[in-house]
Amino acid sequence: MTTSFIHSFQSEWLKTRRSLAAWLVILGGFFIPLIMLTARLLYPDRLPGDSAASDFWEAFFSKCWQMMALFLLPMGVVLATTLLAQLEFRNNTWKQLHTTPQYLTTIFFSKLAVILLMLLQFLILFNLGIIVAGFLPHAVYGVAYPQEAFPFEFFLTKSAWFFVDCLPIVALQYLISLQFKNFMIPLGAGIGLMVASLIALEWEYGYFIPYTYCPYNFFELRKVAGMGPQSVNVHFWALGYFVLFTLLSYVLYITKKEKG
Amino acid sequence: MYSIEALNLSHHFTKGERVLDDISLRVKEGSIFGFLGPNGAGKTTTLRLILGLLRKQQGDIRLFGKPFEQHRAAALRQIGSLIESPSLYGQLNAAENLLVWQKVYQCPKKRIAEVLDLVGLSNTGAKKAGQFSLGMKQRLAIAVALLHEPSLLILDEPTNGLDPGGIVEMRTLLKILNQEYGITILISSHLLSEIEKLVTEVGIINHGKMVFQGSLDELMERQQQVASLIFEVNRVEQALQMLADQHPTAVIVQGKLKLPALSNEDTAAITRRLVTEGIDVYGITRGDNDLETIFMNITNN
Repeated sequence: MTTSFIHSFQSEWLKTRRSLAAWLVILGGFFIPLIMLTARLLYPDRLPGDSAASDFWEAFFSKCWQMMALFLLPMGVVLATTLLAQLEFRNNTWKQLHTTPQYLTTIFFSKLAVILLMLLQFLILFNLGIIVAGFLPHAVYGVAYPQEAFPFEFFLTKSAWFFVDCLPIVALQYLISLQFKNFMIPLGAGIGLMVASLIALEWEYGYFIPYTYCPYNFFELRKVAGMGPQSVNVHFWALGYFVLFTLLSYVLYITKKEKG
Repeated sequence: MYSIEALNLSHHFTKGERVLDDISLRVKEGSIFGFLGPNGAGKTTTLRLILGLLRKQQGDIRLFGKPFEQHRAAALRQIGSLIESPSLYGQLNAAENLLVWQKVYQCPKKRIAEVLDLVGLSNTGAKKAGQFSLGMKQRLAIAVALLHEPSLLILDEPTNGLDPGGIVEMRTLLKILNQEYGITILISSHLLSEIEKLVTEVGIINHGKMVFQGSLDELMERQQQVASLIFEVNRVEQALQMLADQHPTAVIVQGKLKLPALSNEDTAAITRRLVTEGIDVYGITRGDNDLETIFMNITNN
């Protein structure tokens, strides 16, 4: 079972080659850092101030995450998950995949694992982009590097929470995308829930909506007062929803009457 | 031994009409079985049931002598399939498409080059499958089906969309696979003429029911039963009256005299008699004597 999972995973990973989702991860990962890099290259007079700041990296990290956490990351996750999960519908390949000697469980989890790995890949690229955008302008203009030691742990933990907060989006999009052939249904549902989550951010029970956790994590990062649920750990909610949606998705997938 | 035994299969998609009604199908090991029927007769549904793509509602499916449900993975390891349109990843080239399946089947990587060569797609290089012509896609789909050296090929209308040259090529390839590699083939089609030169056994399905199953020779025998002889003469009414005593089933169809199929001797005797009686004979042709007509007769009844 383990061996076949690895082979299945390798096969699923190959399918992402040159796919729109793969490009989305690469371009999405570097998009904000590239804008920040350009801004810092255009205004070199601000670099000495950055060098002297004691919390440059935390502030820069938070600035980079602003648009990403509120809109781009949830949107990107909706798009990439939908595109990856719909790969078989689009290419009319479910029937070929389901006539291979693999357990349906293996297929389900190897596909999900590929999506999660791509999310991880996105976060790695995004963090690398932030680091490059932080250091490069100083090197280009010969200005001293930020005096603050690079906070590895901060980057790692904050990014890990963003990963966790994306999980319910991944699981729900995966569920819908596996059930409907029409690409517009999972995409429409994803965008609809995203908009609903943005509206519900200030609502005291906004954390009931599984797409609100990335913005809430950002508010926590920025220490925005009054935003986000009080005394509720949204990361646990994210994990709970992820497990729930994944189980539901698995049951629906396994019991589907038509498999291609 | 049978590679496929599908017994008493019935299936319905909604509460309405049955798509399959008590279908039984047996495919002998080493044979090429032609599964025929008009569009919508239930061919694809039968094949999808055999491959486990549809949940079985009624009946029994045994592959390679073992119940399919209990031995699904082992059975599928020995099967290559092409159901309806080709299943290919459009953004990948031919070799990459095969690599996707090679990872799953864990067959030797050299098989990729071998099957590409077999289907004549060795030189497609970096060209993406999405840019292939339908014929090339169909051939690549066959290569996918053959990659893991299956002992049974299930092909659903594999000649759909192919030009006449492509159909001949496909037929030749399937013959080679059967004769040289011993692969059992179940091939479906709605055109008998397309596969009559290829198959050893035939099953004909219509409106979800199996209306014929047997060897091609048995089908030919049926042909003899409905074959006819057509005389084109100048005075057809007079000719009909003249032959009525000996051939009461003779009829006039589109101004020509139609009789049941006769031996060469009888044909010569009738011709002599007509000419002796002063009736001019312009032509004699055999009617309804092709397999297509028998197929039409079976499926229309």
